[in-house]
Amino acid sequence: MGKTQVATTQPTSTQPSNFKTGAQAVMQSLVEQGVSTIFGYPGGAIMPTYDALFDYRDQLKHILVRHEQGAGHAAQGYARMLNKAGVCLVTSGPGATNLITPIADAMLDSTPIVCIVGQVRANLLGTDAFQECDVIGMSMPITKWNYQIVDANEIPEVMAKAFYIAESGRPGPVLIEITRSAQVEVMSVPFSYKKCESIISYKPRIEPKEEHVEAAAKLINSAKRPYILAGHGVLIAQAENELKEFVEKTGIPVATTLLGMSAMDADHPLYVGWPGMHGNYGANVLTNSCDVLIAIGMRFDDRITGDLSTYAKQAKVIHIEVDPSEIDKNVKADAPVVGDAKAALKALLPLVKKADHHEWRAEFKKYDDEEYEKITKKDLFHEGNQIKMGEAVAILSDKTKGEAVIVTDVGQHQMITNRYYRFKKHNSIVTSGGAGTMGFALPAAFGAKVGVPDREVIAIIGDGGFQMTLQELGTIAQSGLPVKIIILNNNFLGMVRQWQSMFFDNRYSFVELQNPDFITIAKGFGIEGHTVSDRSQLSDSIDTLLNSDKPYLLEIICEKEENVFPMVPAGACVTKVMLE
Amino acid sequence: MLTTYTISVFTTNTIGLLNRITIIFTRRRLNIECLTVSETERKGVSRFTIVIRNDNRESVEKLVRQIRKITDVLAVFGYLDDEIVFNEIALFKIATPLGAEPLDVKTINLDWNAKVVHWGLDYVVVEKNGSEEEINEFYAYLKQWDILEYIKSGRVAVGKTEKGLVEYLPEGNWEIV
Repeated sequence: MGKTQVATTQPTSTQPSNFKTGAQAVMQSLVEQGVSTIFGYPGGAIMPTYDALFDYRDQLKHILVRHEQGAGHAAQGYARMLNKAGVCLVTSGPGATNLITPIADAMLDSTPIVCIVGQVRANLLGTDAFQECDVIGMSMPITKWNYQIVDANEIPEVMAKAFYIAESGRPGPVLIEITRSAQVEVMSVPFSYKKCESIISYKPRIEPKEEHVEAAAKLINSAKRPYILAGHGVLIAQAENELKEFVEKTGIPVATTLLGMSAMDADHPLYVGWPGMHGNYGANVLTNSCDVLIAIGMRFDDRITGDLSTYAKQAKVIHIEVDPSEIDKNVKADAPVVGDAKAALKALLPLVKKADHHEWRAEFKKYDDEEYEKITKKDLFHEGNQIKMGEAVAILSDKTKGEAVIVTDVGQHQMITNRYYRFKKHNSIVTSGGAGTMGFALPAAFGAKVGVPDREVIAIIGDGGFQMTLQELGTIAQSGLPVKIIILNNNFLGMVRQWQSMFFDNRYSFVELQNPDFITIAKGFGIEGHTVSDRSQLSDSIDTLLNSDKPYLLEIICEKEENVFPMVPAGACVTKVMLE
Repeated sequence: MLTTYTISVFTTNTIGLLNRITIIFTRRRLNIECLTVSETERKGVSRFTIVIRNDNRESVEKLVRQIRKITDVLAVFGYLDDEIVFNEIALFKIATPLGAEPLDVKTINLDWNAKVVHWGLDYVVVEKNGSEEEINEFYAYLKQWDILEYIKSGRVAVGKTEKGLVEYLPEGNWEIV
């Protein structure tokens, strides 16, 4: 089939006498859905679709990753930047199982991805055929929806449904498995694609109920010590401006969750930092002093609440959340508002009274000052020779004016980055929060850069996590995209070491790494880089990284046994903050 | 104290949905007492009746919300026993060899409201409808004979509401079976 026959950008098309194969139908569905980029890796059971892709090269940019996990995380990074589904294309069996980790990660962090995976021919299903694996069964608990296609005619409708489910309501991963036979067979009906707009069994509530909004407004208006926790839902709904308007009118202090970072300008006078295990002192402690707790697009993860039985018991809780199953799941809501963060804030805004709450806000300041004296000052302005992670991030934050997209891996560097990067621009954090997936950052940063090539995208990774997916340096090199990579190297699995030091009597059980020469590795992939270990060279080194118009790797040798504070030990009350 | 909850789940008829639903019970370590699936009076709509025993109403409510979240689930209702009319069916295969004590069919019919549904050469099959307790009592009575096989269905239940539950499903062009 020639390219001219299939080249159409019409949202809906019916082309009589144009009977496509299943594989062509997949490609045409992607084009008509508005997909421009696919992250993938070919293999046996998906080869017919890759063959069809060859004819769609001018409409669909395919990026060949080095491992399917990389495709998944790249699709996540891409999705998080653009607020639309990232697409992965992989083969059956191990190709699909390698996607399991990104799918689980996307489920926990509400990231829309559509994973198209191959499967053996329909007549071989259930026979333990070569590269057959029950991926539908495996992915069931970690997908928002999954579906196995055995009939090519189903493809357009199922693809449309996949994107609708992945992107709408609380976003999440969708997996579509297509048997090789369904890819090869010719549809018996003309191809016709219509974007899905509703599903009878799935109706996410966007606009909140009026009475719920009124009840919430009443609580807010009577509050003396109100406190907002803004989560990922604010970024997903693109409600940052509404949030700003809302807090400026009501004078309510705001903390953002790890995934909600960058929802507020870090230097905004009403911004009080972040709550959680390594969050800010005041942001944690004052959770148990507020009288009305307003949670917006967040799910009261245990890393935020600590001990639930002592969490915000004094407060009336308003829970604004698009996913009704989150209401009352961990924290009982006195005023639940089911709906999208943007719609809810818009509805609330005219009902809330202007207020200031300056005395209450001043309480956060007291804790901030103590935190600054006991922690921040030591991290940023110490006398030692060795580089501390915090100062590296703080310099980076200054030099990028807080406007870069920051992608982190998981561990100490992740906490430190969120502590010291002063986000000034919305939607600028990509991190693995719920799943805590080491190896996430490198491919996710690449995906983010593909999504927003005009923004500076910087991956900050520990030496442990980097080695989990470092093969994606190859993908980055091949693309030529100037992804900037910082390894904060302390030669340890730092967070685990910190726990072993604090809670396991200093018994360092398998946390020290013999690391490779990261710069030689980068150079082997064709990526420039250098190592800095001297504090006096740190600033210049970060300049070199930022000034490069190519991908660049900066390895920063950090103090080996630095611990991250503040810390609320797992399962402890949020007022039990350790400062050292 | 353990309370019995009957959860009625209405779904589109999709392959693998049973798995998706049971995964939620597994994750929350909830044991399913019994489960029945059938098509409803609406074409393409299946109804799962799931019975669980639990001492915490809140965790059952959370379970219901998690089930509702499944994309192919149309509606979920959780009930206490006094809110529904429910029944189960049991079959007993009883040995009746020559010379054995004959089965008291009259008592079985009149006192136990059960009936013989199949006469084999040296066995009979007795069917009994009723609540789990009634069936258990009948089982105890039948023990004086040699019970070769006993099987009991899951619960079927309808709500004691004015309208049928399907009336609460999302609006659509439902075809009546």
